[in-house]
Amino acid sequence: MAEVSLRNVTKAWGSFTAVRDQSLEIRDGEFMVLLGPSGCGKTTTMRMIAGLEEPTAGDILIGGQRVNDLPPRDRDIAMVFQSYGLYPHMTVEDNIGYPLKLRGIKGAERAAQVRAAAAKVELEALLHRRPKELSGGQRQRVALARAIVRRPTVFLMDEPLSNLDAKLRVSTRAEIKHLQHELGVTTVYVTHDQIEAMTLAHRVAVMQGGEIRQLDTPEVIYDRPADLFVAGFIGSPPMNLVQGQHADGRFTAAGGFHAVTGVARHSGPAVLGVRPEDVTVAPAGQGDLDASIYAVELTGDAVLVTVQAGDSRIIAKADRAWRAEIGSSVALRLDASRLHLFDAASTKRLQPE
Amino acid sequence: MSGTRAAAARRRKLVVKAVESAILLLALFLILFPIVWMALTAFKRPVDLFDLTVTFTPTLDNFRTIFAAPWNIGAAVWNSTVVAGLTVLISIPCSTLAAYAFSRFEMRFKGALFFTILATQFIPAVVVVLPFYLLFRDLGLLDTHLALVIVNLAIVTPFAVWMLKGFLDAVPTESEEAALVDGATRLRVILDIVVPMVWPGVLVTAVFCFILTWNEFLFALILTRDDAVTLPVGITRFRTERGDLWELIAAAGILISIPMFLLSSVIQRHFVRGMTGGAVK
Repeated sequence: MAEVSLRNVTKAWGSFTAVRDQSLEIRDGEFMVLLGPSGCGKTTTMRMIAGLEEPTAGDILIGGQRVNDLPPRDRDIAMVFQSYGLYPHMTVEDNIGYPLKLRGIKGAERAAQVRAAAAKVELEALLHRRPKELSGGQRQRVALARAIVRRPTVFLMDEPLSNLDAKLRVSTRAEIKHLQHELGVTTVYVTHDQIEAMTLAHRVAVMQGGEIRQLDTPEVIYDRPADLFVAGFIGSPPMNLVQGQHADGRFTAAGGFHAVTGVARHSGPAVLGVRPEDVTVAPAGQGDLDASIYAVELTGDAVLVTVQAGDSRIIAKADRAWRAEIGSSVALRLDASRLHLFDAASTKRLQPE
Repeated sequence: MSGTRAAAARRRKLVVKAVESAILLLALFLILFPIVWMALTAFKRPVDLFDLTVTFTPTLDNFRTIFAAPWNIGAAVWNSTVVAGLTVLISIPCSTLAAYAFSRFEMRFKGALFFTILATQFIPAVVVVLPFYLLFRDLGLLDTHLALVIVNLAIVTPFAVWMLKGFLDAVPTESEEAALVDGATRLRVILDIVVPMVWPGVLVTAVFCFILTWNEFLFALILTRDDAVTLPVGITRFRTERGDLWELIAAAGILISIPMFLLSSVIQRHFVRGMTGGAVK
């Protein structure tokens, strides 16, 4: 059990900076997800914690001890890789037992610990197979068992679900969450999948361009995104973002789009954000804004209604029984308590007073 | 209409196949005929030598002769085995480590260094054979196994480094990183993870190195006299003042070829596996 600290860590290759002056405190027992698009520096950050990359500047601490100069084997971490990183020439049993073998744990004791770890991920029946005889999901469970077999102080997981099919991803995700809860080990988890981040994390660090854009609980990241990047990255379908002008607590956009924001002090170019589930499509004349239906898409659990309001297209999430003709007139109601306003120049969130 | 066109296509395919087969048969004949002829000669009595008939009474006399005095080819077999064996045993571990470093580590002047290793192969052997002779004479190493092993290492190791780097480059690094995190030192990673994953490549490289050393002639000719003579040099002794003893040359030729036949089957079996195995995902 240990906390992990990054202090002003930078990683650069020549003129390319993958991670820029990043500081991050991961608490003991916390499930921290590093979330961002590819190339945002999240994997590099994890590999520096693992000791597979050396930071160009800054310090990395595990359990209060500076580990910059320690090789991976002395950091007491375990890692799960995107492509599993199994040992193809060893059986499942030997794969899981390898970290124990390296620590001189022999014979019956090793076998018992391997069986216990295998039982946690339901692999007991496959101990004598080789990786190539396993399915993708089974391979990933071998990698998980290998990580938990020797109670490390930190788990590192690098997109562990991205090679699994959609159905398996959901069940494995729950297994990972359960395991982490049960073992209480500090976990750093890298993903580009916002659903994984939302479902798994105690806290999420949203990264872009080698920097953390926002670090907070999934609730806060979803309800109060710190800037335009986070607002657009989190949520599916994504948040509606409308370019316009803001003055005296009122937002206006071309074509008659308008909304009351409650932000008093800001005036100038701004972007208004509203999540599809916070937009209600009402009969014509019974809402804040007049609009017409642009498209209606049934996704199964909901209907996504795209409406034209002024020059802007807004997506609303409606009940799955909702129906309307394309082109018909409607009105929109925006949930005023769940509007997001961003300064157009700085892209930062403007907080209502 | 379309029926005749299909028939024409079928006929054309047949002709192409026939030509292909003919070319292959010709190539096979060109390669195999000298070997078959040598094998036949090795079992002939001297009187049958220049008889073109294929039917003759086979005899093992030629093999008995070359293993007996004064030829004592057994010594040359031993020398060749020791030299080639030691060369492979030293060269493969060293080359594996070097190739691993070139494949995985960032270092200054890596490209230049790697090219230099290759460049040593461009120097014709005749250019360095005299300096080597003088060097070994001064060291008192002429006509020893050690001298031949040293020279063969210089020939074989650069080649092995290149070949092994190719195999190592094809292996994904994720398993190695997993082992590093699991608690292994770099050397343990190489022994436990990397070598088993590229084992077919290591085996193929070792076989190539063995064959190169086994067949090496020029240095063995210049650097040995009596004690360390290898098979390719030993075979030249059958050109005597009484003329070329073809039946003995052929018998010794069979001896030289035996490891080639055995090892080529090893390569065949492992080469395909080496190309397709080891995938991780």
